[in-house]
Amino acid sequence: MSDTAVRAERQLRDGLLDAYTATRRFLIRGKRQPDVIFGTLLMPVMFVVLFGYVFGSSIAVPGGNYRSYLMPGLFAMSVLFSAANVAVAVATDMSEGVVDRFRTLPIARSAIIIGRSLSTLLLGIPVLVVMIACGLAVGWRPVDGLGNAILAFLLFELFGVAIGWLGILVGLLAGSAQAADVIINIPIFLLGFISSVFVDPANMPAWLRVIAYWNPMSALVTAGRQLFGNTIGPPPSGVWSLEHPIATTFALAMVIIIVVAPICVHRYSHSIR
Amino acid sequence: MTAPAITAEHLARAFGPTKALVDVSLDVAAGSVCALLGRNGAGKTTTVRILTTLLPAEGGRAQVAGFDVASQAALVRTRIGVTGQTATMDELLTGAENLETIGRFCHLGAAISRRRTGELLEQFDLVGASRQLVKRYSGGMRRRLDLAASLIHHPEVLFLDEPTTGLDPVGRAEMWTSIRSLVSGGTTVLLTTQYLDEADRLADTIVVIDRGLVVAEGTPEQLKASIGRPFIRVTLTEADPAALEQVGRLLGEGAEVSGRSVSAPASDGLASLDQVVVWLRDLGVPVHEVGLEHPSLDEVFSTVTDHSHHPGVHSASAGGRGA
Repeated sequence: MSDTAVRAERQLRDGLLDAYTATRRFLIRGKRQPDVIFGTLLMPVMFVVLFGYVFGSSIAVPGGNYRSYLMPGLFAMSVLFSAANVAVAVATDMSEGVVDRFRTLPIARSAIIIGRSLSTLLLGIPVLVVMIACGLAVGWRPVDGLGNAILAFLLFELFGVAIGWLGILVGLLAGSAQAADVIINIPIFLLGFISSVFVDPANMPAWLRVIAYWNPMSALVTAGRQLFGNTIGPPPSGVWSLEHPIATTFALAMVIIIVVAPICVHRYSHSIR
Repeated sequence: MTAPAITAEHLARAFGPTKALVDVSLDVAAGSVCALLGRNGAGKTTTVRILTTLLPAEGGRAQVAGFDVASQAALVRTRIGVTGQTATMDELLTGAENLETIGRFCHLGAAISRRRTGELLEQFDLVGASRQLVKRYSGGMRRRLDLAASLIHHPEVLFLDEPTTGLDPVGRAEMWTSIRSLVSGGTTVLLTTQYLDEADRLADTIVVIDRGLVVAEGTPEQLKASIGRPFIRVTLTEADPAALEQVGRLLGEGAEVSGRSVSAPASDGLASLDQVVVWLRDLGVPVHEVGLEHPSLDEVFSTVTDHSHHPGVHSASAGGRGA
Protein backbone atom coordinates (compact mmCIF):
# COMPACT_ATOMS: atom_id res chain seq x y z
CA MET A 1 0.00 0.00 0.00
CA SER A 2 1.25 3.47 -0.79
CA ASP A 3 2.11 5.96 1.88
CA THR A 4 -0.86 8.18 1.19
CA ALA A 5 -3.23 5.21 1.28
CA VAL A 6 -1.87 4.20 4.69
CA ARG A 7 -2.28 7.73 5.93
CA ALA A 8 -5.80 8.00 4.55
CA GLU A 9 -6.78 4.72 6.20
CA ARG A 10 -5.33 5.88 9.50
CA GLN A 11 -7.15 9.19 9.22
CA LEU A 12 -10.43 7.42 8.54
CA ARG A 13 -9.94 5.08 11.48
CA ASP A 14 -9.05 7.95 13.83
CA GLY A 15 -12.02 9.93 12.52
CA LEU A 16 -14.44 7.08 13.22
CA LEU A 17 -12.95 6.58 16.68
CA ASP A 18 -13.30 10.31 17.38
CA ALA A 19 -16.93 10.28 16.31
CA TYR A 20 -17.49 7.27 18.56
CA THR A 21 -15.82 9.03 21.51
CA ALA A 22 -17.87 12.17 20.91
CA THR A 23 -21.11 10.18 20.69
CA ARG A 24 -20.23 8.35 23.88
CA ARG A 25 -19.64 11.68 25.64
CA PHE A 26 -22.99 13.08 24.55
CA LEU A 27 -24.76 9.88 25.62
CA ILE A 28 -23.20 10.02 29.09
CA ARG A 29 -24.26 13.66 29.31
CA GLY A 30 -27.77 12.75 28.21
CA LYS A 31 -27.98 10.07 30.87
CA ARG A 32 -26.96 12.57 33.58
CA GLN A 33 -29.84 14.94 32.91
CA PRO A 34 -32.85 13.14 34.39
CA ASP A 35 -34.96 16.31 34.26
CA VAL A 36 -34.38 16.57 30.51
CA ILE A 37 -35.08 12.86 30.05
CA PHE A 38 -38.28 13.21 32.03
CA GLY A 39 -39.35 16.24 30.00
CA THR A 40 -38.67 14.68 26.63
CA LEU A 41 -40.49 11.49 27.62
CA LEU A 42 -43.44 13.41 29.03
CA MET A 43 -43.83 15.52 25.92
CA PRO A 44 -45.21 12.74 23.69
CA VAL A 45 -47.65 11.63 26.38
CA MET A 46 -48.83 15.20 26.74
CA PHE A 47 -49.25 15.54 22.99
CA VAL A 48 -51.30 12.39 22.73
CA VAL A 49 -53.62 13.66 25.46
CA LEU A 50 -53.76 17.25 24.18
CA PHE A 51 -54.33 16.55 20.53
CA GLY A 52 -55.85 13.10 20.73
CA TYR A 53 -58.48 14.04 23.27
CA VAL A 54 -58.65 17.83 23.91
CA PHE A 55 -58.64 18.93 20.27
CA GLY A 56 -59.31 15.51 18.81
CA SER A 57 -62.73 15.33 20.42
CA SER A 58 -63.85 18.17 18.13
CA ILE A 59 -62.01 17.05 15.02
CA ALA A 60 -63.79 14.67 12.74
CA VAL A 61 -61.83 12.67 10.20
CA PRO A 62 -63.89 11.42 7.30
CA GLY A 63 -64.16 7.65 7.45
CA GLY A 64 -61.57 7.21 10.15
CA ASN A 65 -60.42 7.52 13.71
CA TYR A 66 -58.72 10.86 14.51
CA ARG A 67 -56.24 9.30 16.89
CA SER A 68 -55.08 6.86 14.23
CA TYR A 69 -54.75 9.80 11.87
CA LEU A 70 -52.89 11.82 14.51
CA MET A 71 -50.24 9.34 15.65
CA PRO A 72 -48.03 9.50 12.53
CA GLY A 73 -48.24 13.28 12.86
CA LEU A 74 -47.03 13.11 16.46
CA PHE A 75 -44.11 10.89 15.42
CA ALA A 76 -43.19 13.61 12.93
CA MET A 77 -43.56 16.32 15.56
CA SER A 78 -41.27 14.56 18.02
CA VAL A 79 -38.65 14.43 15.28
CA LEU A 80 -39.11 18.15 14.71
CA PHE A 81 -38.86 19.02 18.39
CA SER A 82 -35.64 17.08 18.78
CA ALA A 83 -34.15 19.48 16.22
CA ALA A 84 -35.06 22.36 18.50
CA ASN A 85 -33.36 20.64 21.42
CA VAL A 86 -30.22 19.96 19.44
CA ALA A 87 -30.02 23.58 18.27
CA VAL A 88 -30.13 24.82 21.86
CA ALA A 89 -27.66 22.18 23.01
CA VAL A 90 -25.17 23.02 20.26
CA ALA A 91 -25.46 26.76 20.95
CA THR A 92 -24.84 26.06 24.65
CA ASP A 93 -21.81 23.91 23.82
CA MET A 94 -20.40 26.62 21.58
CA SER A 95 -20.61 29.20 24.33
CA GLU A 96 -18.60 27.05 26.72
CA GLY A 97 -14.86 26.59 27.03
CA VAL A 98 -15.12 22.94 26.12
CA VAL A 99 -15.19 23.83 22.41
CA ASP A 100 -11.76 25.41 22.69
CA ARG A 101 -10.49 22.31 24.40
CA PHE A 102 -11.77 20.10 21.60
CA ARG A 103 -10.35 22.36 18.95
CA THR A 104 -6.85 22.16 20.38
CA LEU A 105 -6.98 18.36 20.35
CA PRO A 106 -5.93 16.33 17.34
CA ILE A 107 -9.54 15.35 16.60
CA ALA A 108 -11.08 14.98 13.18
CA ARG A 109 -12.87 18.26 12.63
CA SER A 110 -16.17 16.58 11.93
CA ALA A 111 -16.12 14.25 14.93
CA ILE A 112 -17.82 16.38 17.57
CA ILE A 113 -20.59 17.44 15.22
CA ILE A 114 -21.18 13.92 13.93
CA GLY A 115 -21.18 12.70 17.52
CA ARG A 116 -23.85 15.27 18.31
CA SER A 117 -25.98 14.08 15.41
CA LEU A 118 -25.61 10.38 16.27
CA SER A 119 -26.28 10.87 19.96
CA THR A 120 -29.41 12.88 19.18
CA LEU A 121 -30.62 9.98 17.06
CA LEU A 122 -29.88 7.45 19.79
CA LEU A 123 -31.36 9.55 22.59
CA GLY A 124 -34.49 9.96 20.47
CA ILE A 125 -35.17 6.22 20.44
CA PRO A 126 -36.60 5.96 23.99
CA VAL A 127 -38.89 8.91 23.19
CA LEU A 128 -40.09 7.11 20.10
CA VAL A 129 -40.71 3.95 22.11
CA VAL A 130 -42.81 5.83 24.67
CA MET A 131 -44.71 7.44 21.86
CA ILE A 132 -45.42 4.11 20.17
CA ALA A 133 -46.66 2.76 23.50
CA CYS A 134 -48.94 5.78 23.91
CA GLY A 135 -50.23 5.34 20.39
CA LEU A 136 -51.00 1.68 20.93
CA ALA A 137 -52.72 2.56 24.20
CA VAL A 138 -55.08 5.01 22.52
CA GLY A 139 -56.02 2.64 19.75
CA TRP A 140 -53.57 3.45 16.98
CA ARG A 141 -52.47 0.38 15.00
CA PRO A 142 -50.01 -0.04 12.15
CA VAL A 143 -52.16 -2.23 9.94
CA ASP A 144 -49.91 -2.64 6.94
CA GLY A 145 -47.54 -5.22 8.36
CA LEU A 146 -44.49 -5.04 10.63
CA GLY A 147 -42.07 -4.62 7.72
CA ASN A 148 -43.75 -1.46 6.50
CA ALA A 149 -44.08 -0.14 10.05
CA ILE A 150 -40.32 -0.56 10.58
CA LEU A 151 -39.72 1.11 7.24
CA ALA A 152 -41.90 4.01 8.39
CA PHE A 153 -39.89 4.45 11.60
CA LEU A 154 -36.63 4.31 9.65
CA LEU A 155 -37.98 7.04 7.41
CA PHE A 156 -38.97 9.16 10.43
CA GLU A 157 -35.51 8.70 11.93
CA LEU A 158 -33.78 9.54 8.65
CA PHE A 159 -35.83 12.70 8.37
CA GLY A 160 -35.03 13.36 12.03
CA VAL A 161 -31.30 13.17 11.29
CA ALA A 162 -31.74 15.62 8.42
CA ILE A 163 -33.77 18.07 10.53
CA GLY A 164 -31.23 17.53 13.31
CA TRP A 165 -28.46 18.78 11.00
CA LEU A 166 -30.52 21.90 10.36
CA GLY A 167 -30.87 22.26 14.12
CA ILE A 168 -27.09 21.90 14.52
CA LEU A 169 -26.58 24.60 11.90
CA VAL A 170 -28.93 26.96 13.73
CA GLY A 171 -27.09 26.18 16.97
CA LEU A 172 -23.74 27.00 15.34
CA LEU A 173 -24.98 30.25 13.80
CA ALA A 174 -26.94 31.52 16.79
CA GLY A 175 -25.05 33.76 19.16
CA SER A 176 -26.47 32.15 22.29
CA ALA A 177 -28.68 29.34 23.50
CA GLN A 178 -31.61 31.72 23.96
CA ALA A 179 -31.20 33.03 20.43
CA ALA A 180 -31.10 29.48 19.07
CA ASP A 181 -34.25 28.64 20.99
CA VAL A 182 -36.16 31.54 19.50
CA ILE A 183 -34.82 31.16 15.97
CA ILE A 184 -35.49 27.43 15.69
CA ASN A 185 -38.98 27.49 17.18
CA ILE A 186 -40.48 29.80 14.57
CA PRO A 187 -39.94 27.49 11.58
CA ILE A 188 -40.76 24.48 13.72
CA PHE A 189 -44.20 25.77 14.60
CA LEU A 190 -44.89 26.92 11.05
CA LEU A 191 -43.71 23.61 9.58
CA GLY A 192 -45.58 21.60 12.17
CA PHE A 193 -48.92 23.33 12.08
CA ILE A 194 -49.31 24.47 8.47
CA SER A 195 -49.32 20.86 7.30
CA SER A 196 -51.33 17.70 7.43
CA VAL A 197 -49.72 16.74 10.74
CA PHE A 198 -52.79 17.57 12.85
CA VAL A 199 -55.59 18.23 10.41
CA ASP A 200 -56.49 17.61 6.78
CA PRO A 201 -55.52 20.78 4.88
CA ALA A 202 -58.52 20.28 2.56
CA ASN A 203 -60.56 22.69 4.71
CA MET A 204 -57.91 25.43 4.84
CA PRO A 205 -58.21 28.59 2.73
CA ALA A 206 -56.75 28.02 -0.72
CA TRP A 207 -53.48 29.94 -0.26
CA LEU A 208 -52.71 28.21 3.01
CA ARG A 209 -53.76 24.84 1.61
CA VAL A 210 -51.10 25.08 -1.11
CA ILE A 211 -48.41 25.75 1.48
CA ALA A 212 -49.70 22.95 3.68
CA TYR A 213 -49.75 20.45 0.82
CA TRP A 214 -46.23 21.23 -0.33
CA ASN A 215 -44.81 21.40 3.21
CA PRO A 216 -42.24 18.59 3.56
CA MET A 217 -43.77 17.70 6.93
CA SER A 218 -46.96 16.78 5.07
CA ALA A 219 -44.95 14.49 2.81
CA LEU A 220 -43.36 12.89 5.89
CA VAL A 221 -46.65 12.20 7.71
CA THR A 222 -48.33 11.08 4.50
CA ALA A 223 -45.49 8.61 3.98
CA GLY A 224 -45.93 7.45 7.55
CA ARG A 225 -49.70 7.05 7.22
CA GLN A 226 -49.20 5.12 4.01
CA LEU A 227 -46.68 2.71 5.52
CA PHE A 228 -48.74 2.25 8.71
CA GLY A 229 -51.92 1.81 6.68
CA ASN A 230 -53.56 4.81 8.39
CA THR A 231 -54.35 6.69 5.18
CA ILE A 232 -57.72 8.31 4.74
CA GLY A 233 -58.68 9.02 1.19
CA PRO A 234 -56.49 9.55 -1.85
CA PRO A 235 -53.80 12.28 -1.93
CA PRO A 236 -54.79 15.65 -3.41
CA SER A 237 -54.23 15.49 -7.13
CA GLY A 238 -51.42 17.51 -8.66
CA VAL A 239 -49.32 17.59 -5.50
CA TRP A 240 -46.38 15.43 -6.53
CA SER A 241 -44.81 15.36 -3.07
CA LEU A 242 -47.98 13.84 -1.58
CA GLU A 243 -48.50 11.45 -4.46
CA HIS A 244 -44.98 10.12 -3.90
CA PRO A 245 -44.48 10.87 -0.20
CA ILE A 246 -41.91 8.16 0.56
CA ALA A 247 -39.64 9.07 -2.35
CA THR A 248 -40.03 12.77 -1.57
CA THR A 249 -39.19 12.38 2.11
CA PHE A 250 -36.25 10.10 1.44
CA ALA A 251 -34.79 12.34 -1.27
CA LEU A 252 -35.28 15.54 0.72
CA ALA A 253 -33.69 14.05 3.84
CA MET A 254 -30.68 12.87 1.85
CA VAL A 255 -30.26 16.24 0.15
CA ILE A 256 -30.45 18.09 3.47
CA ILE A 257 -27.87 15.78 5.06
CA ILE A 258 -25.49 15.94 2.09
CA VAL A 259 -25.68 19.72 1.86
CA VAL A 260 -26.02 20.81 5.49
CA ALA A 261 -23.66 18.40 7.26
CA PRO A 262 -20.51 19.67 5.47
CA ILE A 263 -21.61 23.27 6.08
CA CYS A 264 -21.93 22.49 9.79
CA VAL A 265 -18.50 20.84 9.92
CA HIS A 266 -16.93 23.79 8.14
CA ARG A 267 -18.72 26.27 10.33
CA TYR A 268 -17.73 24.40 13.49
CA SER A 269 -14.06 24.21 12.61
CA HIS A 270 -13.90 27.88 11.66
CA SER A 271 -15.97 29.28 14.47
CA ILE A 272 -14.25 31.91 16.52
CA ARG A 273 -15.55 32.90 19.86
CA MET B 1 17.30 20.16 22.39
CA THR B 2 18.41 23.77 22.14
CA ALA B 3 16.04 24.47 19.25
CA PRO B 4 13.25 26.78 20.38
CA ALA B 5 10.00 25.00 21.18
CA ILE B 6 8.02 28.12 20.29
CA THR B 7 8.97 30.82 17.83
CA ALA B 8 6.66 33.62 16.87
CA GLU B 9 7.59 36.34 14.41
CA HIS B 10 5.70 39.59 14.18
CA LEU B 11 2.28 38.19 15.03
CA ALA B 12 -0.57 40.58 14.32
CA ARG B 13 -4.30 40.24 14.74
CA ALA B 14 -7.20 42.66 14.87
CA PHE B 15 -10.82 42.16 15.89
CA GLY B 16 -12.70 44.70 13.83
CA PRO B 17 -11.26 48.08 14.76
CA THR B 18 -9.50 46.72 17.83
CA LYS B 19 -5.85 45.84 17.30
CA ALA B 20 -5.37 43.00 19.73
CA LEU B 21 -1.87 42.19 18.51
CA VAL B 22 0.30 44.69 16.69
CA ASP B 23 3.68 43.01 16.62
CA VAL B 24 4.57 40.19 18.94
CA SER B 25 7.68 38.08 18.50
CA LEU B 26 9.01 35.58 20.97
CA ASP B 27 11.26 32.56 21.31
CA VAL B 28 10.89 29.97 23.99
CA ALA B 29 13.72 27.48 24.41
CA ALA B 30 12.76 23.83 24.76
CA GLY B 31 12.38 22.83 28.39
CA SER B 32 12.05 26.37 29.69
CA VAL B 33 9.21 28.37 31.13
CA CYS B 34 8.26 31.64 29.54
CA ALA B 35 5.78 34.01 31.14
CA LEU B 36 3.78 36.34 28.97
CA LEU B 37 3.11 39.19 31.31
CA GLY B 38 0.60 41.94 30.70
CA ARG B 39 -2.55 43.62 31.86
CA ASN B 40 -6.03 42.64 30.81
CA GLY B 41 -6.43 43.29 27.10
CA ALA B 42 -2.68 43.44 26.43
CA GLY B 43 -2.92 40.61 23.90
CA LYS B 44 -1.84 37.64 26.01
CA THR B 45 -4.80 35.43 25.27
CA THR B 46 -4.82 36.34 21.59
CA THR B 47 -1.16 35.29 21.37
CA VAL B 48 -1.93 31.98 23.06
CA ARG B 49 -4.95 31.37 20.81
CA ILE B 50 -2.83 31.88 17.72
CA LEU B 51 -0.05 29.63 19.00
CA THR B 52 -2.55 26.90 19.91
CA THR B 53 -4.18 26.95 16.43
CA LEU B 54 -7.46 28.35 17.75
CA LEU B 55 -7.17 31.63 15.90
CA PRO B 56 -5.46 32.47 12.61
CA ALA B 57 -2.95 35.31 12.73
CA GLU B 58 -3.41 38.12 10.25
CA GLY B 59 0.28 38.89 10.12
CA GLY B 60 3.50 37.12 10.98
CA ARG B 61 4.09 33.45 11.52
CA ALA B 62 4.70 31.03 14.33
CA GLN B 63 6.08 27.57 14.90
CA VAL B 64 5.32 25.32 17.82
CA ALA B 65 7.28 22.10 18.39
CA GLY B 66 8.78 22.60 14.95
CA PHE B 67 5.51 22.90 13.03
CA ASP B 68 3.82 25.91 11.54
CA VAL B 69 0.66 26.78 13.45
CA ALA B 70 -1.20 27.78 10.30
CA SER B 71 -0.21 25.21 7.68
CA GLN B 72 0.52 22.29 10.03
CA ALA B 73 -2.13 22.87 12.67
CA ALA B 74 -3.06 19.19 12.94
CA LEU B 75 0.56 18.26 13.74
CA VAL B 76 0.86 21.09 16.25
CA ARG B 77 -2.27 19.83 18.02
CA THR B 78 -0.72 16.41 18.60
CA ARG B 79 2.16 18.02 20.49
CA ILE B 80 0.57 20.69 22.62
CA GLY B 81 -1.46 20.83 25.78
CA VAL B 82 -3.65 23.84 26.46
CA THR B 83 -5.30 25.05 29.62
CA GLY B 84 -7.38 28.10 28.92
CA GLN B 85 -8.86 30.72 31.18
CA THR B 86 -12.30 29.19 31.10
CA ALA B 87 -13.06 25.79 32.50
CA THR B 88 -13.17 23.27 29.70
CA MET B 89 -14.22 20.20 31.63
CA ASP B 90 -17.64 18.75 31.15
CA GLU B 91 -19.69 19.36 34.29
CA LEU B 92 -21.93 16.38 33.68
CA LEU B 93 -19.03 13.96 33.48
CA THR B 94 -16.91 12.76 36.38
CA GLY B 95 -13.29 13.81 36.63
CA ALA B 96 -12.19 10.39 35.43
CA GLU B 97 -14.65 10.36 32.52
CA ASN B 98 -13.45 13.76 31.41
CA LEU B 99 -9.82 12.70 31.35
CA GLU B 100 -10.61 9.43 29.62
CA THR B 101 -12.58 11.25 26.93
CA ILE B 102 -9.67 13.60 26.28
CA GLY B 103 -7.30 10.62 26.18
CA ARG B 104 -9.45 8.88 23.58
CA PHE B 105 -9.59 12.07 21.56
CA CYS B 106 -5.79 12.09 21.63
CA HIS B 107 -5.96 8.58 20.12
CA LEU B 108 -4.33 6.91 23.06
CA GLY B 109 -6.88 4.09 22.96
CA ALA B 110 -9.18 3.02 25.76
CA ALA B 111 -6.62 1.12 27.84
CA ILE B 112 -3.88 3.75 27.80
CA SER B 113 -6.45 6.51 28.35
CA ARG B 114 -7.61 4.75 31.48
CA ARG B 115 -4.07 4.20 32.73
CA ARG B 116 -3.05 7.83 32.12
CA THR B 117 -6.27 8.97 33.80
CA GLY B 118 -5.31 7.04 36.93
CA GLU B 119 -1.79 8.47 36.90
CA LEU B 120 -2.94 12.05 36.44
CA LEU B 121 -5.66 11.85 39.09
CA GLU B 122 -2.94 10.65 41.43
CA GLN B 123 -0.49 13.35 40.37
CA PHE B 124 -3.02 16.14 40.82
CA ASP B 125 -4.46 14.83 44.05
CA LEU B 126 -7.91 14.17 42.61
CA VAL B 127 -8.22 10.44 43.26
CA GLY B 128 -10.83 10.95 45.98
CA ALA B 129 -13.01 13.03 43.64
CA SER B 130 -12.45 10.97 40.50
CA ARG B 131 -15.97 9.47 40.54
CA GLN B 132 -17.68 12.76 41.33
CA LEU B 133 -19.32 14.93 38.71
CA VAL B 134 -17.17 17.95 37.87
CA LYS B 135 -20.04 20.29 38.77
CA ARG B 136 -19.35 19.40 42.39
CA TYR B 137 -15.65 20.34 42.11
CA SER B 138 -14.17 23.45 43.70
CA GLY B 139 -12.51 26.09 41.52
CA GLY B 140 -9.04 24.82 42.38
CA MET B 141 -9.99 21.20 41.63
CA ARG B 142 -11.42 22.20 38.25
CA ARG B 143 -8.21 23.99 37.31
CA ARG B 144 -6.14 21.01 38.34
CA LEU B 145 -8.35 18.69 36.34
CA ASP B 146 -8.07 21.02 33.36
CA LEU B 147 -4.31 21.00 33.71
CA ALA B 148 -4.31 17.22 34.03
CA ALA B 149 -6.37 16.95 30.84
CA SER B 150 -3.79 19.03 29.00
CA LEU B 151 -1.10 16.56 29.97
CA ILE B 152 -2.75 13.27 29.14
CA HIS B 153 -0.78 12.77 25.91
CA HIS B 154 2.57 13.99 27.30
CA PRO B 155 2.65 17.22 25.29
CA GLU B 156 5.99 18.74 24.33
CA VAL B 157 4.69 22.25 24.80
CA LEU B 158 2.16 23.34 27.37
CA PHE B 159 0.17 26.56 27.19
CA LEU B 160 -1.35 27.91 30.37
CA ASP B 161 -3.53 30.95 29.94
CA GLU B 162 -3.80 32.67 33.32
CA PRO B 163 -3.67 29.41 35.21
CA THR B 164 -4.29 30.95 38.62
CA THR B 165 -6.62 33.85 37.87
CA GLY B 166 -9.62 33.69 40.16
CA LEU B 167 -8.16 31.08 42.48
CA ASP B 168 -7.89 31.58 46.21
CA PRO B 169 -4.38 31.63 47.73
CA VAL B 170 -4.48 27.93 48.54
CA GLY B 171 -5.58 26.99 45.03
CA ARG B 172 -2.90 29.26 43.64
CA ALA B 173 -0.17 27.68 45.69
CA GLU B 174 -1.34 24.22 44.60
CA MET B 175 -1.27 25.25 40.94
CA TRP B 176 2.24 26.63 41.32
CA THR B 177 3.41 23.37 42.82
CA SER B 178 1.81 21.43 39.98
CA ILE B 179 3.35 23.66 37.32
CA ARG B 180 6.81 23.45 38.89
CA SER B 181 6.68 19.68 38.96
CA LEU B 182 5.83 19.65 35.25
CA VAL B 183 8.72 21.86 34.40
CA SER B 184 11.13 19.61 36.22
CA GLY B 185 9.86 16.89 33.88
CA GLY B 186 11.18 18.83 30.88
CA THR B 187 7.95 20.21 29.43
CA THR B 188 8.21 23.58 27.72
CA VAL B 189 5.68 25.97 29.22
CA LEU B 190 4.28 29.24 27.98
CA LEU B 191 2.10 30.80 30.63
CA THR B 192 0.29 34.10 30.67
CA THR B 193 -0.26 36.01 33.83
CA GLN B 194 -1.07 39.43 35.18
CA TYR B 195 0.73 38.61 38.40
CA LEU B 196 4.34 39.65 38.65
CA ASP B 197 5.13 37.36 41.53
CA GLU B 198 3.80 34.46 39.51
CA ALA B 199 6.05 35.31 36.56
CA ASP B 200 8.99 35.86 38.88
CA ARG B 201 8.52 32.55 40.65
CA LEU B 202 7.74 30.29 37.73
CA ALA B 203 9.40 31.70 34.65
CA ASP B 204 12.91 31.46 33.21
CA THR B 205 12.13 34.30 30.82
CA ILE B 206 9.49 36.98 30.87
CA VAL B 207 8.00 38.75 27.88
CA VAL B 208 6.07 41.85 28.85
CA ILE B 209 3.39 42.79 26.36
CA ASP B 210 1.24 45.85 26.32
CA ARG B 211 -1.34 46.90 23.74
CA GLY B 212 -0.29 44.14 21.40
CA LEU B 213 3.42 44.97 21.50
CA VAL B 214 6.38 43.42 23.25
CA VAL B 215 7.65 46.15 25.53
CA ALA B 216 10.33 44.24 27.43
CA GLU B 217 11.80 40.79 27.66
CA GLY B 218 14.49 38.87 29.42
CA THR B 219 15.10 36.89 32.58
CA PRO B 220 13.52 38.37 35.68
CA GLU B 221 16.99 39.58 36.73
CA GLN B 222 17.75 41.11 33.34
CA LEU B 223 14.46 42.95 33.36
CA LYS B 224 15.12 44.38 36.77
CA ALA B 225 18.64 45.39 35.74
CA SER B 226 17.62 46.93 32.42
CA ILE B 227 15.05 49.20 33.93
CA GLY B 228 16.90 50.57 36.87
CA ARG B 229 20.29 50.53 38.43
CA PRO B 230 20.34 49.42 42.03
CA PHE B 231 19.78 52.02 44.67
CA ILE B 232 20.89 52.51 48.25
CA ARG B 233 18.36 52.77 51.00
CA VAL B 234 19.27 54.10 54.42
CA THR B 235 16.73 53.60 57.17
CA LEU B 236 17.13 55.52 60.41
CA THR B 237 15.93 54.31 63.80
CA GLU B 238 13.48 57.20 63.93
CA ALA B 239 12.01 59.79 61.57
CA ASP B 240 14.20 62.73 62.61
CA PRO B 241 13.82 65.38 59.87
CA ALA B 242 17.19 66.98 60.53
CA ALA B 243 19.02 63.65 60.43
CA LEU B 244 17.11 62.60 57.31
CA GLU B 245 18.14 65.81 55.58
CA GLN B 246 21.77 65.27 56.52
CA VAL B 247 21.69 61.75 55.12
CA GLY B 248 19.99 63.04 51.99
CA ARG B 249 22.80 65.55 51.40
CA LEU B 250 25.30 62.77 51.98
CA LEU B 251 23.71 60.52 49.36
CA GLY B 252 23.75 63.36 46.88
CA GLU B 253 21.85 63.78 43.59
CA GLY B 254 18.44 62.12 43.36
CA ALA B 255 18.00 61.36 47.03
CA GLU B 256 14.40 60.88 48.14
CA VAL B 257 13.02 60.80 51.62
CA SER B 258 10.09 58.61 52.53
CA GLY B 259 9.12 57.83 56.10
CA ARG B 260 12.28 57.25 58.06
CA SER B 261 14.37 56.17 55.11
CA VAL B 262 16.30 57.89 52.35
CA SER B 263 17.08 56.29 49.03
CA ALA B 264 19.28 57.32 46.13
CA PRO B 265 20.73 55.71 42.99
CA ALA B 266 23.87 53.68 43.58
CA SER B 267 25.85 54.63 40.50
CA ASP B 268 28.73 52.29 41.33
CA GLY B 269 26.75 49.51 42.95
CA LEU B 270 28.58 47.90 45.86
CA ALA B 271 31.38 50.45 45.81
CA SER B 272 28.82 53.20 46.42
CA LEU B 273 27.41 51.22 49.31
CA ASP B 274 30.85 50.87 50.89
CA GLN B 275 31.41 54.59 50.62
CA VAL B 276 28.02 55.42 52.11
CA VAL B 277 28.59 53.13 55.08
CA VAL B 278 31.87 54.93 55.88
CA TRP B 279 30.21 58.34 55.56
CA LEU B 280 27.31 57.31 57.77
CA ARG B 281 29.69 56.15 60.50
CA ASP B 282 31.39 59.60 60.40
CA LEU B 283 28.03 61.36 60.48
CA GLY B 284 26.99 59.54 63.65
CA VAL B 285 23.21 59.46 63.10
CA PRO B 286 21.37 56.39 64.51
CA VAL B 287 21.06 54.04 61.53
CA HIS B 288 18.64 51.14 61.58
CA GLU B 289 19.60 49.58 58.26
CA VAL B 290 21.62 50.27 55.12
CA GLY B 291 21.24 48.24 51.97
CA LEU B 292 21.65 47.98 48.25
CA GLU B 293 18.30 47.31 46.62
CA HIS B 294 17.15 46.36 43.14
CA PRO B 295 13.99 47.67 41.61
CA SER B 296 11.14 45.22 42.04
CA LEU B 297 9.54 43.54 39.06
CA ASP B 298 6.48 45.55 39.95
CA GLU B 299 8.38 48.71 39.19
CA VAL B 300 9.78 47.25 36.00
CA PHE B 301 6.29 46.38 34.88
CA SER B 302 4.93 49.81 35.68
CA THR B 303 7.81 51.51 33.93
CA VAL B 304 7.65 49.53 30.68
CA THR B 305 3.90 49.65 30.40
CA ASP B 306 3.70 53.23 31.53
CA HIS B 307 1.70 55.48 29.26
CA SER B 308 -0.48 58.52 29.53
CA HIS B 309 -3.65 56.46 29.38
CA HIS B 310 -2.87 54.94 32.72
CA PRO B 311 -2.51 57.89 35.06
CA GLY B 312 -2.64 55.53 38.02
CA VAL B 313 0.51 53.84 36.86
CA HIS B 314 2.56 57.03 37.05
CA SER B 315 2.13 57.47 40.73
CA ALA B 316 2.98 53.85 41.34
CA SER B 317 6.19 53.92 39.32
CA ALA B 318 9.60 54.29 40.83
CA GLY B 319 9.90 57.93 39.84
CA GLY B 320 13.41 59.27 39.36
CA ARG B 321 14.94 56.76 41.66
CA GLY B 322 16.19 54.25 39.15
CA ALA B 323 16.70 56.05 35.87
